[in-house]
Amino acid sequence: MGLKIQPGVIGCAIRPSIASRDRSLEEIIYDTAQMALKDAGLTIDDIDGIAVGSNDQFDGRSISVMMASGSVGGVDRDIMSTPSGSEHAFILGALRVATGQFRTQLVVSWSPTEVSSMPEAQRLGNDPYFHRALPQDELSAHALQASALENAVPGARSAAEAVAAKNRAFGAAAFGDHGTAGKMRWPLTPGMTSEPVTGAVAMVLASPEFIAERWIKNVAWVQGMGWATEAAFLGDRDLTKAPALSAAAHQAYKMAGIANPDGAFGVAEMTDATPYSELLAYEALGLCHRNDWAARAADGTFGASGKLPVNPSGGVLTWNPVFCTGMIRIAEIAQQVRGLAGKHQIPGVKRGLAHAGSGFAMQYQAAVVLGQEARP
Amino acid sequence: MSGDRVGIIGIGQSAFRARRDDANYPELVREAVVMAMADAKMDFDAIEAVVYSLSPDAMVGIGNAERLGVDAVGGRMKPFLRINTGGATGISATAAAYYHVASGAFDVVLTAGADKVGECGDSQSVLNKIWDPSYERPLPLGTINMLAMSGVRYMQQYGMTEVDMARVTVKNRRHASLNHNAHLRKPVTIDEVLDSRIISWPIKLLDCCPQSTGGAALVLASEKYIRDNHLDAVWITGVAHTAETYWMGDRMGNNPTAEHSGAHALARSFERSYKMAGIKDPMKQVHVAELYAPFSNTEYHAIDSARLCGRNGESIQRLRDGEYELGGRIPVNPSGGTLCTNAIAVTAMARVAETALQVWGRAGAHQVEGARVGIASGNGGDHQIFGTMVIEA
Repeated sequence: MGLKIQPGVIGCAIRPSIASRDRSLEEIIYDTAQMALKDAGLTIDDIDGIAVGSNDQFDGRSISVMMASGSVGGVDRDIMSTPSGSEHAFILGALRVATGQFRTQLVVSWSPTEVSSMPEAQRLGNDPYFHRALPQDELSAHALQASALENAVPGARSAAEAVAAKNRAFGAAAFGDHGTAGKMRWPLTPGMTSEPVTGAVAMVLASPEFIAERWIKNVAWVQGMGWATEAAFLGDRDLTKAPALSAAAHQAYKMAGIANPDGAFGVAEMTDATPYSELLAYEALGLCHRNDWAARAADGTFGASGKLPVNPSGGVLTWNPVFCTGMIRIAEIAQQVRGLAGKHQIPGVKRGLAHAGSGFAMQYQAAVVLGQEARP
Repeated sequence: MSGDRVGIIGIGQSAFRARRDDANYPELVREAVVMAMADAKMDFDAIEAVVYSLSPDAMVGIGNAERLGVDAVGGRMKPFLRINTGGATGISATAAAYYHVASGAFDVVLTAGADKVGECGDSQSVLNKIWDPSYERPLPLGTINMLAMSGVRYMQQYGMTEVDMARVTVKNRRHASLNHNAHLRKPVTIDEVLDSRIISWPIKLLDCCPQSTGGAALVLASEKYIRDNHLDAVWITGVAHTAETYWMGDRMGNNPTAEHSGAHALARSFERSYKMAGIKDPMKQVHVAELYAPFSNTEYHAIDSARLCGRNGESIQRLRDGEYELGGRIPVNPSGGTLCTNAIAVTAMARVAETALQVWGRAGAHQVEGARVGIASGNGGDHQIFGTMVIEA
């Protein structure tokens, strides 16, 4: 698998938490799209096509892309929409640039919190006969996964506590102490999750030809990407493993020409819906076997001054705009590669790895490798 | 673009019905997938990625219901994502599958989905929720009265009558009677259409599409894969989308941003896909069309937008003259179209599938003689997001 044309990220707007209540969702989406265009030094007139990721249940609308088409500049443009995951919108945008039929793509995703009950909206995602009656929401699925891991992996609990502390510290350094303790669901304890917040993210992708023509120098090139899914029923899965992420990482590394991921990246962002999700990602991404979780979590391998800083943004444990957390991870890595990550910039990043997971106990998994080097 | 094309190598469609008590939602998806895989003479190991076609979740009553379809499409551990552009979803999913292949990322991609609109209770209640909760939802808008307003405007501008609308139904039902997969296959007369009860004037019951249940699936592959494996295929040579304003109020009043009688974004979408396919004169170069038209009046502005007539509104006289009939100059909706079958999540995929079958020469009793170039369209949202394709033998 290889892309005919290598897309590059040339603009990002990351808004992991939007507390203000004086802007409507349409205005938030408009603001975010415009911020990404400004970061790219473009206007909407430069955009050939748009890929949107949004979720009907969280938006409280059928076909939630409809409302946004004006806000993102979709009127009279080629616009497509995916509701399966925000990271899928990025993938779709990248594929469209890779065809050579589009020189640019604006990719936008958002996640509001106006729904009266997020767990109830999530519960609708279960089959109506078995899991909906449990009742299962995303937090309970994450908790089941955490419980399964604690049972299967000695030291998983202490490793998870260390990961949570690491990401909280990263988040506090990046954004100050905002204290979202999150809800508990055994064995998840305060600090292991964070409350859903309203957020939005936008990215601008472009072809090498467009980038050269505009003399754009600060580019995070898509070196590799992979995505895969597990089955829907938790009963059909081994929750102590993340085989879909292994499959996604295999695709991404193959495309990027990475034989050994250990030492290949200067920074990583992972979807730490819980610290257990991050631990599983370490292993599936080939960065740390489960037998070493406790030791690596304790010795700071993935901390600020470690071998591979993971989630310098503070991750989902810091800000949890539920639906768009996956694409935010990708945008964070793009900004790290471009040296524009702000207070949480890791010095000297040449290549980074983003992990996006979504659905019940991370049914959907994606891995994206971004770097400063365009392929020859 | 020889050597670099994307082909369709397998097609599966349900025999669409009002209800399918024998198959649950994933089983309907599976039914279409199995047919497409058999048509492509392929096993699941060859499928490298899957694009899932599902429009509003509320239609099947399950949030992100594509997750429950993962096994039905053989998607475990494979690249998998879903597309939703409302009624256009089926053609948008096919376009997404096309991009998967055309990007060079994959050689063989499956796109599939199903819907149970006939079992959802009231699709108009679901579709009312596509509008803004504060302004347009409480009117109450539905897709029928939305397009009834378009019909009234089309009447005013171009002189379409209720009889002209009935002519579309009569034509498409006659076509559907030849298509064993169509949902409404009983031929009707103009008087029967005119005598059917008014739903939202000028749209009467027999001017409306049904609420259908069934699935569809397509297997797409790269030209290299097709050549290397000596497969038969038809080719997607043009693909595009275009959207227009979300707000109905912006299409009416004194300063509309779009003319609600027509479908200017559909016309723009066709312009783009024609340009890609190198089609300069559709009236001469297109042999068959499957145009998404869920109500009889909307087939006219679809024909106008596809430039299968001269100026806008000319489609009315040409349809009276039989140009869009099977056996006519450019048959439109020889399958019976959306007017006779509407399982929303895959309706626009059925337009692609039927066009592919036509240019392949495999459409059966509703085959258009000698068709080599066909077009397909899909309309989504509140007549807002339009996908188009050119498919060639």
